[in-house]
Amino acid sequence: MAEQPLDAPAGVGSKIGNVAGHPALFSLIFAFALGWAIVWLTGGDPWFAYREMFDGAVTGSGLRNTLSRAIPIVGMALAVSVAFRSGVINLGGEGQMVVGGLAGTVVAIYMPGPGQLVIPVAMVVGGLAGALWALLPALGQTRLRLPILITSLLLNYVARAITGYLVRFRLLDDSVTLTSTEQVPATARMPKIPVFGGVSYSLLLVVVLVIVIWVVYGRSVSGYETRMAGLNGRFARYGGIQVERQTVYVMAVAGAIGGVIGTHMILGDAYRYIDGELVLSGLAWTGLLVALLANNHPLLILAAGLLFSGLQIGGLAMQRNADVSWRLAQVLQALVIVAVASRLTFTWFKRRTDRGVTPGEVEPAGVGEV
Amino acid sequence: MSLALEFRGITKRFPGVLANDAIDMKVEAGHIHAVVGENGAGKTTLMSILFGLYPADAGEILVSGERVRFTSALEAIRAGLGMVHQAFRLFPTLSVADNVVFRDEPTRRGMIDRAAGAEGVGALAERYGLAVDPRAVVETLPVGVLQRVEILKALYRDARILILDEPTAVLTPQERDKLFEVIRRLRDAGRTILFITHKLGEVMAVSDRVTVLRDGRSVADLVTAETNPTEIARYMTGRQVDLDRRAPAHEAGGAVLTVTDLTVTGQHGRAAVKNVSLEVRAGEIVGVAGIAGNGQSELIEAVTGLRDVPDGSIHLHGNDISTSEVLTRRLAGMAYIPEDRHGVGTSHLATVSNNLLLGHQRRDGFQSKGWFDRKAVRHHARRLIETYGIRSGPINSPVSTLSGGNLQKVVVAREMSHGAPLLIAEQPTRGVDIAAIEFIHDRLITFRDDGGAVLLVSAELSEIRALSTRILVMFDGRIVAELDPAEVDEAAIGYYMTGAHEEALSG
Repeated sequence: MAEQPLDAPAGVGSKIGNVAGHPALFSLIFAFALGWAIVWLTGGDPWFAYREMFDGAVTGSGLRNTLSRAIPIVGMALAVSVAFRSGVINLGGEGQMVVGGLAGTVVAIYMPGPGQLVIPVAMVVGGLAGALWALLPALGQTRLRLPILITSLLLNYVARAITGYLVRFRLLDDSVTLTSTEQVPATARMPKIPVFGGVSYSLLLVVVLVIVIWVVYGRSVSGYETRMAGLNGRFARYGGIQVERQTVYVMAVAGAIGGVIGTHMILGDAYRYIDGELVLSGLAWTGLLVALLANNHPLLILAAGLLFSGLQIGGLAMQRNADVSWRLAQVLQALVIVAVASRLTFTWFKRRTDRGVTPGEVEPAGVGEV
Repeated sequence: MSLALEFRGITKRFPGVLANDAIDMKVEAGHIHAVVGENGAGKTTLMSILFGLYPADAGEILVSGERVRFTSALEAIRAGLGMVHQAFRLFPTLSVADNVVFRDEPTRRGMIDRAAGAEGVGALAERYGLAVDPRAVVETLPVGVLQRVEILKALYRDARILILDEPTAVLTPQERDKLFEVIRRLRDAGRTILFITHKLGEVMAVSDRVTVLRDGRSVADLVTAETNPTEIARYMTGRQVDLDRRAPAHEAGGAVLTVTDLTVTGQHGRAAVKNVSLEVRAGEIVGVAGIAGNGQSELIEAVTGLRDVPDGSIHLHGNDISTSEVLTRRLAGMAYIPEDRHGVGTSHLATVSNNLLLGHQRRDGFQSKGWFDRKAVRHHARRLIETYGIRSGPINSPVSTLSGGNLQKVVVAREMSHGAPLLIAEQPTRGVDIAAIEFIHDRLITFRDDGGAVLLVSAELSEIRALSTRILVMFDGRIVAELDPAEVDEAAIGYYMTGAHEEALSG
């Protein structure tokens, strides 16, 4: 990136050029080293296990699977980061995804017409449904002072219950033993890009979304205002930013992205809405971890999303070929996050020891992200 | 004459900063010794080394002729040193006596003897003329008394050397004078006082000797009776400073800000501002004096749109803005330098450029249809950094890398750069060094001379008197006096600030 007149989109310490010095890199090394030790201590061959994991993630059908799984991970990470970056703690990604996903699926199943029409409409409806669902906690906070942190999280359970009811009692496909809707007709399925053995066009959608968000963050007044609100709400209010109104917009955008990703999961992947499947996948939470690791920077989210996707896909191959449980992939994910989170502690410690350097000087940057 | 405390060649280097550069200082026993210097001169570092918060890179410290090297504040206290901090460290819900004896409680058969504690503290207070009721609960006491409690804490541990760090920052003129009496009495009882300050008037009023620090070095060691404020200021800044500037009177124009019968609710739902009316005209600076917590903050928040206005009205150039959004007020011509420059006036983690932009981000020159003209934003930042002499790194470095004075310049530059006709300036020079104070005062006067209207709130009476065309005194949420700065001295303003005139009226 050339000179940055405004903040790097996600702010301090997260410019692409700084990656080498970024705590994320340290976190990765830390995690893989510890994972190595775990495999070694349990009598495995860590070098072999890691090689199988890598091969499994990028060779043969592995690359296609990694790219496909990266679509929802990156998408849900974007959804969560849009909110986090503005200081809105939206933990309702899961609910926004299932509500949007089911709404989009219903359109895809029941709307007549050619795919070129049905698919976009399903996506838009899925996005709208996710956005409306996200507005509940947003308005709860701005109107009733109920913290979004709590309400968005609890509404996930409500969303599960409502969609579960609809699938079981209104939309059930009796011809299969699954608790599921009917299949999405072939014409309304997301077509595949004929590369790597076929990856859904949603990948392009997600990449475009990454770029759009990156540009909006870096160049638009809204990107600036949301960033300022996320960094210091009192400063933002003082500067005339209407933080409450902004919270509502930001939640709507986050919910819309979640809804679109939920719709993609059916139209581009599963082809039928199976009750509980989206929740079990844990995609919303993996996305949240990715957003944390990438410090809300959209380009880093793309990279981190591919990494986590690769870990999950490669982990399965590793289990198959190296007889090391795929759960090692989860352990690695967790270790990366622990290392990233502990950076806050390092910074805090550093600040303590630095205190009094120059009286009147303020704290070093790097704390308080998210 | 024996030395109570001696610093020999104290040197302390932090990454990129030489905070103390071979500082020598001799403090004679039974004297009041002032240490003055601007922010960043090394006062705080020197005291931190004395109290063992971190070791010196070189040099040694002698207490009563003995070499010491403390590794914790506790050791320093045992050796007879006592520190009274700027920010009080007291338990608000406990009594004065409980606070004073904490960790040194008198005991009887293994149990804390609270009665003996209260008695001992009462006797101690009486001996040094510190008017404090040992049984009073701390949170009910005014700031001046809290400071006496801190002093008592040190005396209770029999501190021979008492260090006061900027002790007058929070006091009214009357409280300050009482503090000085206490300090003198302690000296006369044989104690040694180290008085850290940047206010020259106080150095002259109370100290016997003065050491001046600049850029980490001790540049002068003077006998107070043989020097004068101008000389000390010259040592502090390294150049000639004119201390007696007064803003010449100026013809005021039409009303810019009109506040009518304003009532504002503060914390806990009580009325913080009661029925206040005031007017600020073009070409005048209206100074609001008052002890912190008498409604000034709430008044300013209401005027700037950060707090609701339940009753009364606010007009800017005749337009009612009582219920307008902050942004509307800003675009209508209101600029605001807030009191809390770290928490409200800037955003630490954001860049210098972004900090200079806030409040103007929707102006037409900077954006069109929601997209920034990045060249204009950059140019704006560079121009302000140059015009206001802000010492900063690249415009995209975080603003947290700036010193306090430069940070305040960022706020001042941002607020004064768009020709707003009304400026609300709240504690505009608190905690910044003399050079920055001069600069900011110059800017305010120029702004006034160009026809701007300024509403100034300051705890520094000298600042209020130096700048104001008119002075309003706030007490208990009301404006209790309107004074002409040419006709009143600080004592007279202080008289109204404490509400004393009302007591006088009610007998």
